[in-house]
Order: sequence, then C-alpha cells, then structure tokens
Amino acid sequence: MVISPVHYIAVPLLAAFLMPLLAKIHRELTRIVPGLVILYLGYVSVVLMNQVMAHGTIVEVIAGWNAPWGINLVYSPFTGFLASMMTAMAFVIWLYSYRFKKVDSQPALKYFILFMMLVTGTIGIVLTGDIFNFFVFLEITAISSYSLTAFYRDRDGAEAAFKYLLIGSFASAFILIAILLLYTQVGTLNMAQIAVRMHDVPTHMKITILILFLVGLGIEAEMFPLNGWAPDAYSQAPSPVGVTFAALVVKAGVYGLIRIIFTLFDVHGAYEYLIVMGAITLVMAELAAIRQKSLKRMLAYSSIGQMGVVMIAFGIGTNEAVFGAIFLMFNHAVIKGLLFMSGSYLVYNTPNKEIQYLSGYGMKMPLISLFFSLGALAIVGLPPFAGFWSKLYILIAAADNQMIGLIALILGVSIVEIVYYFRVVGRLYFGKPSKGSIMQKPTYGGVIAMSLLAIVILVVGFYPDVITPYIHNAADALLDKAQYIHSVLPNADLSQIQNLK
Amino acid sequence: MKKLLIILLLAVVGYFLTVSMSNIKFGANRMGDLSQPKTVGAFYLSKTPGELSVANVITAIVVNYRGFDTLGEVSVLFLAATGLGSILYKKKKKGEHIPTVNKPSSALLQAGSKLIFPAILVLGAYVFIHGHLTPGGGFQGGAIIATGFLLMMMSYKDFTMNHSVITWVESLAGITFASIGLIGLIVDHSFLENFLPIGYINDLISGGIIPLIYVAVGFKVAAELSGVLDTLLSIKEK
Repeated sequence: MVISPVHYIAVPLLAAFLMPLLAKIHRELTRIVPGLVILYLGYVSVVLMNQVMAHGTIVEVIAGWNAPWGINLVYSPFTGFLASMMTAMAFVIWLYSYRFKKVDSQPALKYFILFMMLVTGTIGIVLTGDIFNFFVFLEITAISSYSLTAFYRDRDGAEAAFKYLLIGSFASAFILIAILLLYTQVGTLNMAQIAVRMHDVPTHMKITILILFLVGLGIEAEMFPLNGWAPDAYSQAPSPVGVTFAALVVKAGVYGLIRIIFTLFDVHGAYEYLIVMGAITLVMAELAAIRQKSLKRMLAYSSIGQMGVVMIAFGIGTNEAVFGAIFLMFNHAVIKGLLFMSGSYLVYNTPNKEIQYLSGYGMKMPLISLFFSLGALAIVGLPPFAGFWSKLYILIAAADNQMIGLIALILGVSIVEIVYYFRVVGRLYFGKPSKGSIMQKPTYGGVIAMSLLAIVILVVGFYPDVITPYIHNAADALLDKAQYIHSVLPNADLSQIQNLK
Repeated sequence: MKKLLIILLLAVVGYFLTVSMSNIKFGANRMGDLSQPKTVGAFYLSKTPGELSVANVITAIVVNYRGFDTLGEVSVLFLAATGLGSILYKKKKKGEHIPTVNKPSSALLQAGSKLIFPAILVLGAYVFIHGHLTPGGGFQGGAIIATGFLLMMMSYKDFTMNHSVITWVESLAGITFASIGLIGLIVDHSFLENFLPIGYINDLISGGIIPLIYVAVGFKVAAELSGVLDTLLSIKEK
C-alpha cells in the first residue's frame, strides 16, 4: 500500500473501532495502541513531507470521484506542515498522558479512544479540501473535546463541559448554516471550486456567509468575545487534554479561519478585520491573564492572547507576516505545551490550582520548575529561545508595512506578559517555602515528554534554520491561491482569481 | 439592559438570515442541463442510475460519493456513545443488575411489547438492507432497532442488554466499514472506492459496496443507540 494522506484518517479510525476488542485481550493494549498509531502517522508525515517538498502539493481523491464531484484531501506544504506538527505534538501528549492519573481500565480505554479521535479530527480539519467534510471533522473534534473536558466527572468539570457544549453547538450551527447558504450560491462543496465561483456571488450574500463562518470558527479559534468557554475548559479538563486544546484544537480553529479568509473568499476588509479582532483579543486576554489567581486559567488566557497575535500576523497578510504567524503557531504549540505540562504538575496538589501556594517550589521540584521557567522565558520571546524568532519576524513584517501602532501594541503587551509569567517564576525560586505541601512525582513518560519539548525549544532557538525552510514553503503555499486551485482542479479557469495581498 | 442587547442582537441576526434565505429560489429548477452538469447535485442525478446501478440517489450520495463524510458521522456517533460512557461510568459489582424502570409496567404493555418487538427488529433490518432501493438506510434502520430495545427496557424490569455483545457488534461493524474503505484503497488506489460488481438496478444485490456499508452502519447505529439508552436508564437520580 502506498503511503497517502488518507492514512491520517483511516488508520486511527480503524484503531479506534478495534480498541474495545483489544481491551478484552489485554488491558495495557488500550494505552499502547494509540501511541503506535500516532508513531505510524509520524512516519507517514516524514514520507509525505519529503514528497511535498520535492514534488509539490499532493491531492488525494476519495471514493474514486475526482474533484469537484467527490471529497478530496489536499496535502500542501502548509497543510502538511500543520498536520505533521499536530502528529508530533500528539505523540508527546500521548507520552505525557500514559499513566498520568490512576484510573480504572474502562475509563482509560474511553480516554484513549477520545484522545485519538480528537487528534484525527484536528488533522482532518487541516487536510480536507471539502467544506462539508471540514464540518464533519469539526464535529468529531468538538464531540471528543466536550467529553474529555468532563472526564474527571467533578462539578467544575461538568460545568465547563456544559458551557463548552452550548457554545460549541452554536458554532456548529452557524458553520452549517453558512455551508448551506454557500451551497445554494455556488452549487458545490469543493473548496477550490468555491474559490473559483466566489466571484459571481452577490456581495451581500458573501458578507452574510463570511460573518457566519467567522462567528462559528471564531469560537473554535478563541477569538474575542467568543472565547468564554476556553479558560474553564482549559483549567477543568485533565492536563493532557488542556495541552491538546492549546496545541491542536485551537490551531485547527485558526487554520479554518485562515483558509476561509485567504482561499475561499475574496472580500476586501477581511484582513483588516483579522487585525482588529486579533488586537482586541490580545489586549483583553493579556489583561485578564494578569488578574488570574489560578495558574491554569492564567495559562489559558495567555494562550488566547497568543492566538490574537497569530490573527494579527495573518491579517497583515504579507509573506513575511504569514511566515511569522505560522512560526508562532508552531512555537505556541511547543512552548504552551511545555508550560501546561509542567504547570499542571506544579499545581497538582494545591487548592484551586492557585499560584500563591507555589512559593519555594523551585527547590522542591527542581526539574519541573526548570521546565516551567524555560517555557516562560521562551513564550515572552526572550532570545535565544524559540519564541524570540516568531515575534521578531512578526514585528519586522509590521514595520515593513508602517504599522507602528501594532508594533507598540505587541511590545506593550509583551511587558504585561513578562510581568505575570515572571511573577510565577519569581515565586518558584525566591518565595518562602511553605510547610506541608505534597509534591507530585512526575511519571517517566511525562518527564520524557517535557524534555523533548524543552530540547525542541532550545534547538529551534539556536538554529531556527532547521525549521524555517518548511515554514517558508508553508507561507508560500497559503498565499498562492491560484496554485491551490490549480493543484485541485487542473482545468479551472483562473482568470478571475486574484491574490488580494 | 443586557436583555435588550440580546434581543437587539437576535433581531439583527434574524433579519440578515431572513433576507439571505428569502433570496434563494427554493423549489425552482436550478439543476440546469443534466447531461452537462454544473453543480454537484446535477452530476449525482446524472451519474447514479447508470454508473452505480443504485435506485435511491440519496443513498448513493451518502454512501458512495460522500462516503467519507458518512464514515465521519458514524464516528461522531461512536464518540458520543463513548463519551457518554466515560462520563456516566459506574463501577458495577459482578452480577449486579440495576433495574431500568422503578415500577413494573402493566400486563397489557408487557404482552404487547413482546408481540411487537420482533416485528420492530425485522422492520429495522428491512430498512437498512433495502437502503439502496427504497427510502431509508443504515442510520434509520439502526434507530428503529434501538427503539425496539427501548420498548423492552421500559416494559420489563429485568430486561438486560449484554454489554459484551454490544461492544462486539459495535466494533466489528465499525471495523467492517473502515476495512471496506481500505480494501478500496489497496485494490483501486482510492479510499472507499467501489471494488465490487455493480449488478442491475433495483436488484437486492446491486450497487457494489453500498449495501455492505449500509448493513454495517445499521448494526453499528443499533448497537450504539441501544448502548446509550442502557447507560442512561441505569443512572438513578438520588
């Protein structure tokens, strides 16, 4: 069997259906199999990324019906980069969640099925070239997120999950209505053909559909003011799930927003909208983060703020800015992953996960505190860590477009960021140790996972060249709308297509 | 003030949705010339009877052209059942039985449901086996079968579902669907592509892999919905 993009979906699905049977053979298999599946997907990623870098976009046809009649998967340098990044993060999260908490074998089985399907759903969102298929994968992601949020079955978890369920259902409904309206206008569901025919859609219809999409996907991408679910879900879900939200689910939401604005629609002003909404999201989230007493809520708000920066950078829309935005998505997945992983061990036993109890933990949990401090230094963008480069590229791109206000905003907010992260780091190392606090010993898998992420942060920080060629290609692929349409529909009429930026 | 704002917002959303919906010509023939299809709808209508030998075009769309979406929807249902199971998980003692209803139902209901239960199962099976010929299909047939089990659970206090059987049916049906897709990938280089002879239109055995997939979907939906009902009924309010 030749390696092809559909393996990303078919293999985990098959494994998910098999797992209840495997659990009857041996209990441990339920924990091992997801790891093997994700490892295989990693191999698929390596093979396909090499192919894409050498020969360009791979379009895979499903059920033998060529585009635009059937469903297709598009593995371009951009989508491939995101899918590979998600697979790598999924593997690290699997290592971390292996024996994270002692649970019965039945819930463990369900946890790993839901986790694997969450990963599949997010990768499917990124890879698909069909707008309704996009919705189906969004549903897979959403349903598994809701149940994983409530996995501990406590009061707060149930509340967070219910909140998420209500808001998420709104998002689904909006996106479904948008797809319906879009279909009545263009008579097709293939994204490339929608992009070709978008030219003939009346403007008022275009705007209505775009707004419906933006609201629906804005909820998934944590755009202000649609992100009310995020802090609760991040802090109440099991820690590995919180990491998955930050590293995979939000990335898929942002990808959806970007694909809709960059490829499907040709509306002027959508880019400015992204900048404005990104800036508001950034400011509101960072101001909320500095007021938080709970460590996990603080990290959640910081995560929302970072997504604001990503939206600003995509909104600037030049090649350099998009490069910076994709780089920041990568960095955010890795660094926020490390912060969440180490942070949840720090507050494992403290009441309400509050920061004030963490005094002097730097001596008691040296390794975990070190990881957390490294993550904190990297996320605020200090050299020589990974976060520095993405921030630098975004600022340079803003400077090239004479957006001085934006530079001032991003730098100003960085100071707020530094304040609240260093408040925690300072408490870890210079606070007076309190008596009677119980330390949680991290699992071996957890330590390996965090070490891997720390190594990535340092390597990318010192040698950004290991990753920049991939990101450069990804940015080019995202911006070249005509190329995207041409690779899916070789015979399409490209005369009406123009790149707005 | 807050309520006023919400009403205002709803009015704006409602206005724009009404305006855009009223501009769509529902019911008008917008397919155009079927021999030279421009929209996917026209393409499906023109291709299905000839190239797939399937009488029910909707089934052809759901299972063949957009079979990948259906596989996704089946997993959404699977995930919903799994998620419900993980949230409502209760450690059971061995041999412990939680009655599904508190009061025993009347003799009339008990006798009636015993009579009607096999008929419901047969109807459900009929609906999903004939999914490619008549209206209906795997999802509908599966739901009908689950209602049969619901009826039994409500009328008999000690009616139990064997969880191990549900797990087996559910898993095997899912594996069948995914494997059919993978066989297509190996034989014809395209996931979920038809690899069986398509036969003659209106025959029971026609349409290639479509009836196979719909039978698998029927079993899976029936097992999952019955499992969900069983989980929900075994939860007692304190």
